Amino acid sequence: MTLEHRAFLYDDHADFLSVTVPYLRSGLERGQAVVAVVREPNLSALREVFEPKGAAIAYFDSADFYRHPVRTLRDYQTIVAQSAPRSVCALAEPVWDGWDDRQTLEWIRYESLINVVFAGSGARALCPYDTGSLPPRVLDEARRTHPLLLCDGRTGGNDSYVDPATFGAKCDRGRRPARPCDAEYLAIDGHDLHALRSFVAERALTHGLARQPAQNLVTAANEVAANALQHGIPPMGLWVWRECADLVCEIGDNGFWRPSPLTGFIPPGSALQRGFGLWTVRLLVDLMELRAGWDGTFVRLRVRR
Amino acid sequence: METLWSIHRPVRDLRPGDHACLFYGGEDEQRHITGAFVRDGLLAQEKVVYLAGSACDAVPGVPADAPAGTLTFLPAGPREGGTFDPAAAVAAAAAEIDRAARDGYRAIRVAADLTRALRSPAGLERVLYFERHLERTVPPSTQVMALCQFDRRRCNPGEPDALGEGHTVFAAPDPEFEDAVLRIVRTFRPAGLALSGELDASRHTVLDRELTASASRAGGGDLHLDLARLDFIDLGAINILAAIAASREGPGGIVLDRVSPQLRAVLETVGWDMLPGLRLGRT
Repeated sequence: MTLEHRAFLYDDHADFLSVTVPYLRSGLERGQAVVAVVREPNLSALREVFEPKGAAIAYFDSADFYRHPVRTLRDYQTIVAQSAPRSVCALAEPVWDGWDDRQTLEWIRYESLINVVFAGSGARALCPYDTGSLPPRVLDEARRTHPLLLCDGRTGGNDSYVDPATFGAKCDRGRRPARPCDAEYLAIDGHDLHALRSFVAERALTHGLARQPAQNLVTAANEVAANALQHGIPPMGLWVWRECADLVCEIGDNGFWRPSPLTGFIPPGSALQRGFGLWTVRLLVDLMELRAGWDGTFVRLRVRR
Repeated sequence: METLWSIHRPVRDLRPGDHACLFYGGEDEQRHITGAFVRDGLLAQEKVVYLAGSACDAVPGVPADAPAGTLTFLPAGPREGGTFDPAAAVAAAAAEIDRAARDGYRAIRVAADLTRALRSPAGLERVLYFERHLERTVPPSTQVMALCQFDRRRCNPGEPDALGEGHTVFAAPDPEFEDAVLRIVRTFRPAGLALSGELDASRHTVLDRELTASASRAGGGDLHLDLARLDFIDLGAINILAAIAASREGPGGIVLDRVSPQLRAVLETVGWDMLPGLRLGRT
């Protein structure tokens, strides 16, 4: 069952309702599990229209649902898994304001990843984009991340669409910000990662991370270091530094690895499957970046205070 | 009884002068803990005096090659319907201790299962008499240690408190595994393991081994892991938990008890959908 992933570029509130209401209704008529993840005031407007349908539609406020792209993928995956055998009909309106450039890029990548993560789910997703308020970059990228487009009342294929692997490679290209020369360094040389965990935990505390994000970072750094010990080539080590509100941990080894642009983005079926570790690392930190080059393999973890 | 200042000490760390107490919840627990107390003593060529209701009560932990004469069994009664005679029990134990000292034993271990005595008429009062004698003689001794056992299921409310007060320590099971970072101890009710410290890749082999053994002991039932004192678990260990849960036959899963808020948040970030067969138990 293929995925139907369509961007809907709308002009105003009336335009929004004229498409989304029939769309949700069609989901109910087909017996799909219908979810509406929408920003206010559109959310309240839809609730009002569908009030007679009671609890037939599950509503979520985008402001709560779209906080971390990989966690949002996980949440949609949970919805798809829990709705089975019914397929899902989702109205999915991301949040585009309040992010910096890098975060915006990750949300754009997220839209692209939807195409591969839910490829065989039989789900339908309609993603509304407000042409009146969204920056041109976001609207342009919507055309590259959605195979189907509904614009100016016309629906159909979309020639600008780029497949997720190619798109992901493009996202990462040219992103090699240098590590500051005053970054703290810890060599990883034994198989006991206790010292590494204490080192990271202490820096997390000093940086002012709350207990939970600190524990998540320690768990993520431990996982990446354990992978380096298992698969990498010495010397290996950990660097930690601060970038404004971000605490950054980078684990590097001398090995040569070619991760795919999708590495760690595709949720495994369960903890038993390959890819569980890196997927979970992506869930635990705000951003994980992979860089493999002539000088080794580097995994950068970032958590914001 | 188990107050904040109660000392729990693994059996292997009991020393002369310790007057220890054990409330067991079943024969498996008694076999495991008292058995280690008896076995350690016999293997170290120490004297073991075992005091229990009747000679029918098998002494746990006796190795096949135990040196002859090192173990003495003292039937303390009482017979069905009779009363427990604490003065006689004290005298019998004291005589054995004196003889062992004369025979040149380096250390003397007294293990007493007083459940039957406790359930006889005026049992609590009479057992406390016996305990007071031990409390006067064992702690000052550089040779004698004692382990008094009671079947928790046959204690009345309040009795464990009254009995526990007369002891210096509580006997705890020896760890299945212990190093500077991780400790794994068997639990009995519920059946499973208590993990404390930190669990990472360098201890995956031991985790896998202990979980497998524990799962086979648990049969088809739930396997409980008490994580109250586990400060860190890595993703590989979570993967091992899921693998053991998946490989089990029967309806039993792995129940994670007393998970710290931080670990719980990590597990929830992963998502329970990713962890079939694993669930949270009591908090």
